[in-house]
Amino acid sequence: MTSLHDNASELAQLRNGDEAAFARLVRAHHRALLALARPIVGESEAAEVVQIAWIKAHAALKDFEGRSALRTWLSRIVINEARMMLRQRKREVFLEDMQAEAPGPLVDRFRSDGHWSVPPVNWHADSPDSLLTREELADCLAALLDSLPSNQRALLELRDSDGMPFDEVCNMLGVSASNARVLLHRARSRLFALVDHFEETGEC
Amino acid sequence: MLKCRDVPAEAEALLDGELSLGRRVALRFHLFMCGNCRRYLGQLRLLLGAVPQMHGQASDEEVDQVLKRLHDHSH
Ligand SMILES: [Zn+2]
Repeated sequence: MTSLHDNASELAQLRNGDEAAFARLVRAHHRALLALARPIVGESEAAEVVQIAWIKAHAALKDFEGRSALRTWLSRIVINEARMMLRQRKREVFLEDMQAEAPGPLVDRFRSDGHWSVPPVNWHADSPDSLLTREELADCLAALLDSLPSNQRALLELRDSDGMPFDEVCNMLGVSASNARVLLHRARSRLFALVDHFEETGEC
Repeated sequence: MLKCRDVPAEAEALLDGELSLGRRVALRFHLFMCGNCRRYLGQLRLLLGAVPQMHGQASDEEVDQVLKRLHDHSH
């Protein structure tokens, strides 16, 4: 299972240039890195950006100091490659308007006095792993992630999937902290509402 | 007084490490009184913990393709 906690012996193997360990690294993170590149450079260029990032990461791994999670480190390389690609093509960042739109999907779940009218149901999962063991729910979540506006996707990928600190996310994407907060809140609320609905009805 | 309606935004600020001491105290006090919001925060934490894994693992073909390009590049 992928997580933001790196295993020490796996790290040592990676630094020593162990190819099997590198293949495991690619397997664990490749799809998430594609999902990060897509909202920034677009679908057609994302694979190339991530490929170049893997080549650079492979060369730089021996110097990886472990000050951040591997996933966070990899995502920085992907973002840098994505920006370089955009510069070469003289293109702007692909992100949809960074302005926040109307309020998120949880607003209609509160009464006018501010209390919950439709409180969250009790989810069956008791760990992040067990949440995703139900294949149908995992598919629904993956589809929702793909359907989010690109600005929300980029923020959610960097902050929640790749574990980048909030300030760095704002810098990387050139978005104000207040806009980032609103957009992240929208994305997270939609994920929450989807799981909550699934837990209640068994479908999404 | 913090209302339930305010809790989702405050809960995220808490998990992002963005909450000042005063707001943290206000949130804790509300959570102490309110089971619905305790449940909300617990499940939000669970959900965000699962996001890094939501994309799943790459297929053999995808891994092979990355390794092949890497190999071509280094020769
Ligand atoms: Zn409450």
